[in-house]
Amino acid sequence: MSLLGDSADIVKRTLEYGKVSGVFYYIEGLADAKKLADFMQLTASIALQNNDMQECANDHCSCRLFANRVGGNLGRTVSEAVNAIVQGDTAVFLEGCCHAILLGTRGWAERAIDEPATEQVVRGPRDGFTESLRTNTGHLRRRIKDPNLRFDRIVIGEKSRTEINVAYIDGTVKEGLVEEVKARLNDIRIDGILESGQIEEMIEDAPLSPFTTIQSTERPDKVAASLLEGRAAVFVDTTPFVLVMPTRFWEQLQASDDYYTKFWMGSFFRLVRFIAFIISLTLPSIYVMLVSFHHEMIPTGLAYTIASGREVIPFPVLMEAILLETAFELIREAGLRMPKPVGQAVSIVGSLIIGQSAVQAGVVSPFLVIVVALTGISSFAVPNYTASFSIRILRFPLLIASGTMGLVGFAGMFFLIVLHALSLRSFGESYLAPATPFHPTDQKDLVFRWPWWAMRKRPVMAQGENRMAKDQMPKPPNKERK
Amino acid sequence: MTTLRVWQVMTLLLVCSLLLSGCGQRQLNELGLVAAVGLDPGKEPGSVRLTAQIVRPADARGQTGAPTGGVGEPIYSVSAEGRTIFEAIRNMARYSTRRVYWAHNYLIVMNEDYAKAGVTDMVDFFTRNHELRMNTWVAVTPDNASEVVSTITGLEVVPGEAIDKLMRFSEIVAEAPRTNIMRLQEMHLTPHTQIVLAKLQLKKRGIPNKSPEKGATLKQLELSGAAVFREDKMEGWLSPKESNAMLLFLQDIKSGVIVQPCPDEENRYITLEVRQQRVQVKPEMKEGEPTFSVSVSTQASMVELGCRASYAELRPSLEKQLADEIKLS
Repeated sequence: MSLLGDSADIVKRTLEYGKVSGVFYYIEGLADAKKLADFMQLTASIALQNNDMQECANDHCSCRLFANRVGGNLGRTVSEAVNAIVQGDTAVFLEGCCHAILLGTRGWAERAIDEPATEQVVRGPRDGFTESLRTNTGHLRRRIKDPNLRFDRIVIGEKSRTEINVAYIDGTVKEGLVEEVKARLNDIRIDGILESGQIEEMIEDAPLSPFTTIQSTERPDKVAASLLEGRAAVFVDTTPFVLVMPTRFWEQLQASDDYYTKFWMGSFFRLVRFIAFIISLTLPSIYVMLVSFHHEMIPTGLAYTIASGREVIPFPVLMEAILLETAFELIREAGLRMPKPVGQAVSIVGSLIIGQSAVQAGVVSPFLVIVVALTGISSFAVPNYTASFSIRILRFPLLIASGTMGLVGFAGMFFLIVLHALSLRSFGESYLAPATPFHPTDQKDLVFRWPWWAMRKRPVMAQGENRMAKDQMPKPPNKERK
Repeated sequence: MTTLRVWQVMTLLLVCSLLLSGCGQRQLNELGLVAAVGLDPGKEPGSVRLTAQIVRPADARGQTGAPTGGVGEPIYSVSAEGRTIFEAIRNMARYSTRRVYWAHNYLIVMNEDYAKAGVTDMVDFFTRNHELRMNTWVAVTPDNASEVVSTITGLEVVPGEAIDKLMRFSEIVAEAPRTNIMRLQEMHLTPHTQIVLAKLQLKKRGIPNKSPEKGATLKQLELSGAAVFREDKMEGWLSPKESNAMLLFLQDIKSGVIVQPCPDEENRYITLEVRQQRVQVKPEMKEGEPTFSVSVSTQASMVELGCRASYAELRPSLEKQLADEIKLS
């Protein structure tokens, strides 16, 4: 076993069973101790019986018989054996047997299944993905029992040899999508994959764009729903984040709740999120633009209020806004990074220093504090963290443009952003579809979520026509169903 | 190389726009927001004295957390003279620390004498000015316009705002036309119409809180009556009653009050509130002379009955009285 060197975690155990002696190789921490003990016991009892082994005259036969008895595979080459060992299996070398017998002893410490911290729901399943690939694919198999659900294995990473599974439903998935995903995955040459974010950046359509064209989620129900809509998912071992593709812009404003609560509620919440998106993108820019250029557009009473709050502010409003936005981002980042026990300090500093003292000292105006706070809250209402980030970062060019050139700058920069978003594609799907290009049948799941009984057709991108049978709207029993 | 060039240009643009911003642009708090403007004849013949009511935001709004250090007065009124309105405004810059900003102006008020000299210049300036809104109210006053503009009103903090509300709710009494600069321009430019403007007047109406025994001693603005013009020169005043009658033809009167004496009873009255009024004017040619037949249909409801007789008994005579009253006006 010189291939593995003299590594500290590799355990070699030699056991003697009467005439037969055997060597066990496994990695501590990857091989499950209990499974290993069971196998050892089984091996011992078979080896001690001995009869079968001798009956079988030829060497190959005895090995295979033995492997069958203990329930292991035969490893014919050294590299095959090493491969198995580094994945947590145990290789047994028996005297008089020229193959390795590989025992399935994989098992390591795993995090319990938790509710995903990044995407919480009020109504809906509370399980989330974990760091273990098989547990994750199991989640999905439990939700979709159709035999057409496929997981295609690809191993990426010269050193990490990370297992990656491309999940899709055969016959439903968008045509040509799986081949494209696999082709892009196979092009990756890298020494290690530690998180799906690396994969995401390597297979994205628009690598330089602030928008993300691949969605990552921790929610199995979200992935299952995506597969049913004809998408594909990429599971990466050792991370709970699963990539879903193709992803269009609007999907980042949709939450799982929308589909599980009553459709009025779902549509309302979605509408709120759209408003939040618009606020978080444009509100500071509009404020800065109005206060420094277009004073006539402010209602008179409001103009007095804003002017009175700004009376003692020494900075121009653009600088003030950038200052406060920076402070807000600082608080947010610090709150995220700092150890939990000291988290309170951030909220005290945030609310007292920024919220109150800065206004009292006359450094920032109270109205801008409201604007920035509203913007911050709105950016948190966007359910997808990556999406909320892309909105947050696009806010700054918009802010600078409208603070220096007024409405013209605002409109110009907004135009550029929209143009850019229009030019994006995610695995062949237009990024702003189904709004533009317009798909009439896909409007049922854009701004408003139609009731389930009305969402009869699958999305345009999926294969196959209908998602459910006709006329499913509940009716009183005396009325005949058509 | 080209990408580098693009980045260089973009960085340059960004730096320029950041550093160069500020000149040309003015923050909201660097402007003197005018709430009302008054026009009086100046000392020299043909000149104009312009008084602007500029809002002091720090005191027009309550303490907002920031130290403001105000003197407590919500407005700052200044006047300046010039041969033309624009010159007067420019002269104002000698002592006004903030640039005078017109977009939030509520009211333009002219002195009687100024209006009698002609309003062509004033209509031209205030419609030509790109900052001024076309829905700014216009009125004429027999008092000094500068005094009207700088009088602190009771309920509203900013006096300009008070006049704005006075104009908006004037339909309840319907004694003054609601004239804004757009209507003024219409009336001025159309050859067949003459100008009618609302009349603003200072009257002792307010009772001081600290010495109520003195009675109404504080001057308050009253919107009542109208000023009528021939061509661009003011001719004279209309009494509230006359202007009420005139308003029948000019705009919809939604409300009005008619007080009638009770039949057969002394010093007792019955009050009617006009709910709806429809006016139809039919021009006719009678014997070569143009005549107009006016039909008014009024719906009124009784709001106060001081007579001893019951409403049912009174109704026929009341209707007749009401008809007479409308005919009279």
